[in-house]
Amino acid sequence: MFALFNRLRPHGKGRTGLLGLAYVTPVIVIMGALVIIPLIATAWDSFYSVNPMKAGKPFVGLGNYTSLLADPNVRQSWSNTFLYVIFTVSMETIFGLAAALLLNRVKFGRSFLLAALILPWCLPPVVNAVVWGWIFNPSYGVLNNGLIALGVLEDNKVWFNDRVTALFMISVVHAWRMMPLTAIILLAALQSIPRDLYEAARLDGAGPIKMFRKVTLPLIGSGLAIALSQSTVFAFNLFDEAWILNGSGYDTRTVMIQVFMSAFQNLKFSYGMALSILAMLASIVVSAVYVLRVYRETRFE
Amino acid sequence: MSARLMKKALMRAGLAFAVLLLLFWSLGPIYWSLVTSLTPPNDLVSSELRLWPDTLTWEHYAKLFGATSISQGNEVQSVWPQFSRAFLNSIVTALAATLVTVAIAAFGAYAFVRFRFPGRDTLFFVVVATMAIPAYTVMIPLYRLMIAMKLIDTYTGVIFIYVSAFLPLALWLMRSVYQAIPISLEEAAYLDGAGRTHTLIKIVLPLSTPGLIAAALLTFLNAWGQFMVPLVFSPTLATKPLTVLIPEFVTRNYVDYGLMNAAGIIAIVPPILLVIFLNRFLVSGLMAGSGK
Repeated sequence: MFALFNRLRPHGKGRTGLLGLAYVTPVIVIMGALVIIPLIATAWDSFYSVNPMKAGKPFVGLGNYTSLLADPNVRQSWSNTFLYVIFTVSMETIFGLAAALLLNRVKFGRSFLLAALILPWCLPPVVNAVVWGWIFNPSYGVLNNGLIALGVLEDNKVWFNDRVTALFMISVVHAWRMMPLTAIILLAALQSIPRDLYEAARLDGAGPIKMFRKVTLPLIGSGLAIALSQSTVFAFNLFDEAWILNGSGYDTRTVMIQVFMSAFQNLKFSYGMALSILAMLASIVVSAVYVLRVYRETRFE
Repeated sequence: MSARLMKKALMRAGLAFAVLLLLFWSLGPIYWSLVTSLTPPNDLVSSELRLWPDTLTWEHYAKLFGATSISQGNEVQSVWPQFSRAFLNSIVTALAATLVTVAIAAFGAYAFVRFRFPGRDTLFFVVVATMAIPAYTVMIPLYRLMIAMKLIDTYTGVIFIYVSAFLPLALWLMRSVYQAIPISLEEAAYLDGAGRTHTLIKIVLPLSTPGLIAAALLTFLNAWGQFMVPLVFSPTLATKPLTVLIPEFVTRNYVDYGLMNAAGIIAIVPPILLVIFLNRFLVSGLMAGSGK
C-alpha cells in the first residue's frame, strides 16, 4: 500500500525516475548485450544445428538434446560432475565449518590467521592446479615422497590412474580454493549469534556438544544454506583444476570441459549449447536456495 | 582444581594444534611452490624428501627475466618476451575490468537503493540471478558476437566480458553498502539544494569507501584468476594473460616444473600483496556479499 502511494506521489525533484534509469543504463546495456541476449541465443540455437563450417542452420528440434542423452562422453561427464559435487561440497562444508569454529575461538593473531585462511581463494585457480599437480607428481611429487618417508606408502603411487582417486585428488585442489569462502560465510553467521544464548544454555547444564546442536547449528542454518548452494554452483562449474591437472581425460572431464570441447574443439556449436543449457538448469535447480533468498530480499522492503 | 587446570591446558594445546593444521593446509602448497622455484632442476627430479633445497638457485627466475639462460648446459632463449607480455595483459585486463565494474556498480546500485523507476526490482533480480548462469552457457553466442564485432583477442572484448561476469556481485555488494547508510544524511544535502548526483559523489561515495574497496578487490581477484574466458577469447599474446601462458610451459617431452612454479610465484604476488594489506576489506566484502 505504502509502496504504491510512494510510487504515485510526485517526488520532490520529480526526476529521480529518469535519473535512476540513466544510472542503470550501463548495467542494462552490458548485461543485456553480453549475458541476456547471448543466453536467449543459446537457448534458441540449441534447437538448430549450427556449424561454423557449414552454411545455414537446419532446425533439428530436440535433436541435440536426444543425442546428448545417447552420448557416452556426455554421460561420463555428468557422472564425473556429480562425484565432484559430492566430494567438494562435503569437504568444503566440513572443513569450512571446522575452520569457522576455530577462528571464532581464536583471539591471538586472528587477523593474520584470517589472511592465511583466505589466501587460497585469492589465487588464480590455474596456478593452484599447477602447484598441486607438482605435489601429486607420481615420481617426484612431495606427496609420494612424504608418504613414503612417513612409512604410509611403500611405493610411488600414480594418483591419476584410478578414476575415483583422480576425481578425489582434483576435488581436493578445488576444495582447497573454495573452502575459505564457506568458512567466511559460516564465520559471519557464527558472529551474529548473541553471546547470552550460550550463557543461558550453560546455566541449563548443556555440554559443548549439546550447545552446538541446540544453539549453534539452528542459528547458522541460513548461512549454511548459502554456503552449500555456493559451493554446489562452483562445483558444477568446475573447469580450471580438472583441465590443468588432467586435460580432456575421459575419467575426469566435467560437463563444462565437455561443453568446451564440443563447441571450441569439435566446433559442434549447437550441441555444446544444448549441453550448456542443461548444465545451467542443473546448476539453477541446486542453487535455488540462494536465488530464492535474493528474490525474497528484493521483494519485502 | 588441578584436573580443571589440566583440562584448560589440553584445550589450549588442542586449539594451537588446530591453528597449526590450518596454517599448514593453507600455506603449505604455497611454501612448496616457492621451494620448488628455488631448487636446481637436478634436485627436483629426485625421490628424496627435501623440505628446503640443499643449494638455492635463481635459474628458474633467470629463465623468466633474463634474455637468455642456461638450461641443462645449453644456452636457450628465455621466455621473458612472452612472460612480460602476459603479465602486462593480466594487469591491463584485470585493472580495467575492475575500474569499469566498480564505476558502473557505484552508480547502478545507488539507483537500485534510492531511486524509483519502473522495473527496478525486476531488473535487479534478473541481474543478480545471472550469477547462477555458468560462463559457458553464454560463451558460444559471445564468441560469435565478438568475431562479428572484430573484438576477439582485443583488450576491449576481454574487459567487457569480465565486466559482465563480475558486475552482478559488485552491484549486490554496493547495494548492501548503500542500504546501511542512513538516508537522513542525503536528505539534509537535498534540503541544502544539492543535486542527486552531486550528493552521491560528494557525500555517499566517500562514506562507502570500504565497500568500494571490497568490490574492487573481489573484481580484481576474479579477473586476475580468470582462465576459461581468455582461453577462448585471447588466443595470441596480444591479450593472453598469465593464467593461459603458464600451463603452456609444458612441452611435448618435458614439463619444466621449476619454471612453472617460478612463474606461478610471480603470478600470485599481486593477490598476496592485496590480501596482506587489504584483507579486512576483503573479509567484510565477502561477508556482505554472502547475503548477510
